[in-house]
Amino acid sequence: MKRSSIFYWLISLIAVLILVSGPAIAHQDFLEKMGVALPKREKFAPDFNLKNLDGDTIGLKDFKGKTILLNFWATWCQPCKEELPSMQKLYTELAARGVEVVAVSIDRDNHGKVRKYKDQYNLTFPILLDPGQEVRKSYFIMGLPTSYLIGADGHLKGFISGARKWDSPASIQMFSQLLPSGIS
Amino acid sequence: MHVIKTFLVVCITYLMFASQAWAYVGLCCAHCGGNMPLNIPGGGIPETHEFRFKVSQMYMYMDSLRDGTDEKNYSDYGPSTAAGKYRGVPKTMDSWMTMVGGAYSFTDDFAAMIMAGYVRNSMDMTTTATPSDYTMFSQGATDTKIMGKYRLYSDDNLAPKMQLSTILGVAAPTGKITIKNTNHPSLKMRGHLLPFGMQPGSGTWDPIFGLTYQKIADPYWMGANFMTTQRLFLNDQDYKKGSEYAVDLYLMRQFHERALASFQLNGKAWGDYSDEPKRGKESGDCHAMLNSTRDWMTPLCDPTNYGGVNLHATVGLQFQPVPLQIAELNFSVPIYQNLKGPQLQSDYMLRFTYYWEVPTKNSRRYKGFSAPKELGF
Repeated sequence: MKRSSIFYWLISLIAVLILVSGPAIAHQDFLEKMGVALPKREKFAPDFNLKNLDGDTIGLKDFKGKTILLNFWATWCQPCKEELPSMQKLYTELAARGVEVVAVSIDRDNHGKVRKYKDQYNLTFPILLDPGQEVRKSYFIMGLPTSYLIGADGHLKGFISGARKWDSPASIQMFSQLLPSGIS
Repeated sequence: MHVIKTFLVVCITYLMFASQAWAYVGLCCAHCGGNMPLNIPGGGIPETHEFRFKVSQMYMYMDSLRDGTDEKNYSDYGPSTAAGKYRGVPKTMDSWMTMVGGAYSFTDDFAAMIMAGYVRNSMDMTTTATPSDYTMFSQGATDTKIMGKYRLYSDDNLAPKMQLSTILGVAAPTGKITIKNTNHPSLKMRGHLLPFGMQPGSGTWDPIFGLTYQKIADPYWMGANFMTTQRLFLNDQDYKKGSEYAVDLYLMRQFHERALASFQLNGKAWGDYSDEPKRGKESGDCHAMLNSTRDWMTPLCDPTNYGGVNLHATVGLQFQPVPLQIAELNFSVPIYQNLKGPQLQSDYMLRFTYYWEVPTKNSRRYKGFSAPKELGF
């Protein structure tokens, strides 16, 4: 093989590698910016069925095929309350593209207060109630707020401890890249 | 005073160097919305690997005398040189007490606490001297409490419905018991020991035991606290202060994300003093004519005129001006008092407390929670 051919193939290989790894690096960047802990081994998100404020039972399976932000919160948690509006903005922006926001309230009582927040912030994403703490425990929640990213394949893709600006450009980019269609 | 100064310097120094630990405060873990009134020892236990500091200013006003459950007028007891009367009688008292406390939680279940104080007492007296009225004054550090709080039971670490804790500790004798009179209208009375009630300390190392029950049913927080300080040993002046028992019942309602209202019933029983100070026997301090064989100069000098039982009702407001900081205002009035001998009775009490939490780099609120390995992380 001529030296020029080897050089040509080498340049091409590097170009391909850059093209392939670029989005992956960017993807990692956004995850890092959002402070997401990545799984060492992807596992299915624990299944659950919970009631919403209207008394309807909703399960994780109802969101099959969607990229989910599963958020655990409580009305007595100030940082939780502060991140609710940004979760609504994220939902408004990306719901049509397949991102679902699911907020699980772990309040034991006082569901009127959960409804009050729903109305106050015009929250349209599903809010589920876990008064018995079963789902909270199956997701090993030790502090609030805590969120999980669940991929369209049902696997856990990330763990987020603490409040975030879910409508920030980094967050929007992160969810865009988690969608099955990738960057759009 | 030296202890308080040192403590304040340590606190301020720590806060200066701990400011970087405020970078991550986006978590709250079960303590959001407050948990206990701050005047109750152990109220506001910090998160694991976090410091908590508390500064409290209390004002207490005592007006007129009481014997048993009967209110008495000071003129019932003097001032008079007649037998059975006293040469000096207290009329009112103002007490300002500043408390500073610090705590650190080593684990989810164990926190160590220290609480020091400084008190300024002013007691209006009427005497047989000329001029007859003067204000007896004393000030100084109080005894310092060093305590450990251990959580015996909690039904859930994150969102508990019920918790039971115990407190064990000791009150160190940092308060003086030999403060002397400096402004008596009669010059010869100056330089002699002030009565027991004006001494800020006990002079003894006293064990402390407490038990706290907490119940949470959002938006209500309620509980009961029992605490006792046992006086087992004699001090340098060969007497001991009476043991103390306190029971507090509280109910709090969170009416706003950043505010709670509270109601408390605070019961207290305390014993009298075992004897007069050694110096009184030797030099006649607190006796008429400074003669130890004569009667007590004032009812405050009689060691048996102490002790009793009282019950206060307290209303309070607790609010969070900024995250990790809580301010509390309490107002207490007595609803029952049964006091031994003629004693000044409590009229009302005001207390303002400021509390703040300082996460360290090891705190979960600083570094966040670890992702669970059970789910593949």
